Amino acid sequence: MTTVVIVDDHSIFRSGLRADLAPDLTVLGEASSVATALALLATVTPEVVLLDVHLPDGTGADVIAGAPGPRYLALSVSDSAEDVVGVIRAGARGYITKGSSGADVSAAVRAVAGGDAVFSPRLAGFVLDAFGAVAGEKAASDEELDRLSAREQEVMRLIARGYAYKEVASELFISIKTVETHVSAVLRKLQLSSRHELTAWALERKLL
Amino acid sequence: MTTAIERPTLLRSRVAVVGGVSDGLALHLGWQPRTVRLLFVALSFASGAGALLYLWLWALVPLQPSEDDVPVRRSAPVALIAIVTAAVSTLVVLAIAGEDSVLGWLVIVAGTASVAVIWELAFDRTDPDRSLRYRLGVRFGAVGLLVVAGITALLSRPSALAAIVSVGMIVIAVAVVVAPFVVQLWADLMTQRAARVRELQRAEIAAHLHDSVLQTLALIQNRAGASSEVARIARAQERELRDWLFTGDAPLGTDLAASLRDIAAAIELDYPVRIELVVAGASVAAPGPLVAAAREAMLNAARHAGGTVSVYLETSAGAVDVFVRDRGPGIDLSSLPADRLGIRESIIGRMTRAGGTGTVRKTATGTEVHLHLEVPA
Repeated sequence: MTTVVIVDDHSIFRSGLRADLAPDLTVLGEASSVATALALLATVTPEVVLLDVHLPDGTGADVIAGAPGPRYLALSVSDSAEDVVGVIRAGARGYITKGSSGADVSAAVRAVAGGDAVFSPRLAGFVLDAFGAVAGEKAASDEELDRLSAREQEVMRLIARGYAYKEVASELFISIKTVETHVSAVLRKLQLSSRHELTAWALERKLL
Repeated sequence: MTTAIERPTLLRSRVAVVGGVSDGLALHLGWQPRTVRLLFVALSFASGAGALLYLWLWALVPLQPSEDDVPVRRSAPVALIAIVTAAVSTLVVLAIAGEDSVLGWLVIVAGTASVAVIWELAFDRTDPDRSLRYRLGVRFGAVGLLVVAGITALLSRPSALAAIVSVGMIVIAVAVVVAPFVVQLWADLMTQRAARVRELQRAEIAAHLHDSVLQTLALIQNRAGASSEVARIARAQERELRDWLFTGDAPLGTDLAASLRDIAAAIELDYPVRIELVVAGASVAAPGPLVAAAREAMLNAARHAGGTVSVYLETSAGAVDVFVRDRGPGIDLSSLPADRLGIRESIIGRMTRAGGTGTVRKTATGTEVHLHLEVPA
């Protein structure tokens, strides 16, 4: 059983999403703005917050900053790099588009609740671009934050090509757990790296 | 009884000698432009009535509108004529400096030099027929003449009035040097402001559509199921709206990513399929064979697999890779009859001929086509 809070300013979308979520997910409440979300999160503690990137009185990042307890899964119609990177760097554990089916959203919620990161193909493509993997840059050690290791690049490429974690695992002859570890490592780099491309995004959106 | 004649509207011509009045008037009246010009000149002898009429028409008759702001071309070098007049008058000032009659000539120098600079700033600046050298010549010629005439008059112990005019001329000369920058600055400021207002308006509309229509379209697709007709229409609409919102007026050009996006949009209209395009790397020009092969691969996936098709484009230094992946039952290349040319010819053969490679791979959950092409960096 996983507990969820939905933050989105569209009531139609909220009710649609609520109806579509798998039965093992319990919705503890809904909020439609940064203010109401923070008020709600002060009273309930869900495992996962489904968070819209754009809210009438601010951004999803404001909610994450105001209530850093639960894990966040960003949900948006926009898949522009600024939005994705903005909310991920603010602390979200994953990002999916609103076009995703109820089953996909449910699976993503479970993954985030379990501590994993959720990467859409587009986010993977952006990461490859932003970390210079396309240009052939490779991290020398695992500790390096500004570049991806060879294995991480392989995983990101397969995700960008539309492979699910399970398919990535069988493609690379590694376990799903290892795939998840790589993805989490990339997420951490995405959040902590001071690579120029990323800080530029963050600066532009006033996130630093 | 009069018969109404269809006359062209009275507009000033964009290809003009001075103001475009005569050409416009001639067109309007159905006369020869030369007749109109002669008439203006003749009337000017009647206490300058022709010149006044010309100026009056110039001020009141609107300029011929043009689609993309074609600059107005004026064949008469008015600024140059004014400068030459100022130069001749300056010579006169040099010759008779100290006499009382110098005052009139000083005024002529100041007037003609000012006309030259004003003309240069107002008209020649946007006229493609006037070179920068010509314009700078006019500007600095005017400054030189004003300073020379002004200082000469001052040095020759002039009357009080002539002294004031001379000082005024030097002030004008300084202004002439500064004016172009001020005019340019002002013009830039105005353009910037207009652009900002437009951008702001667009952002507002975009934000509104983003928050309302896109959400609803996403919801429709969600609830209607990926393969239904309704979802297909909603998705096509979403794509169109997104293109408008985020790419703006930027020309699509022949960028590879844009080409693939267009192809995906077209296929989504024809087949119940959702094509997810991911792009990494810099923008490159679209190589014809690669685009054709990618199109064929996407079409195949849409026809035989449906559902969601993932397309990944990666452009690195020196190479372009396109992956098209579907989750259909898959095809086995070796079991295909030789006459099934589709994949063998249009994907693999095409790529080979272009100097690249095309591979079709069956995975546990579908088929993946990989196109690879080396491109000179």
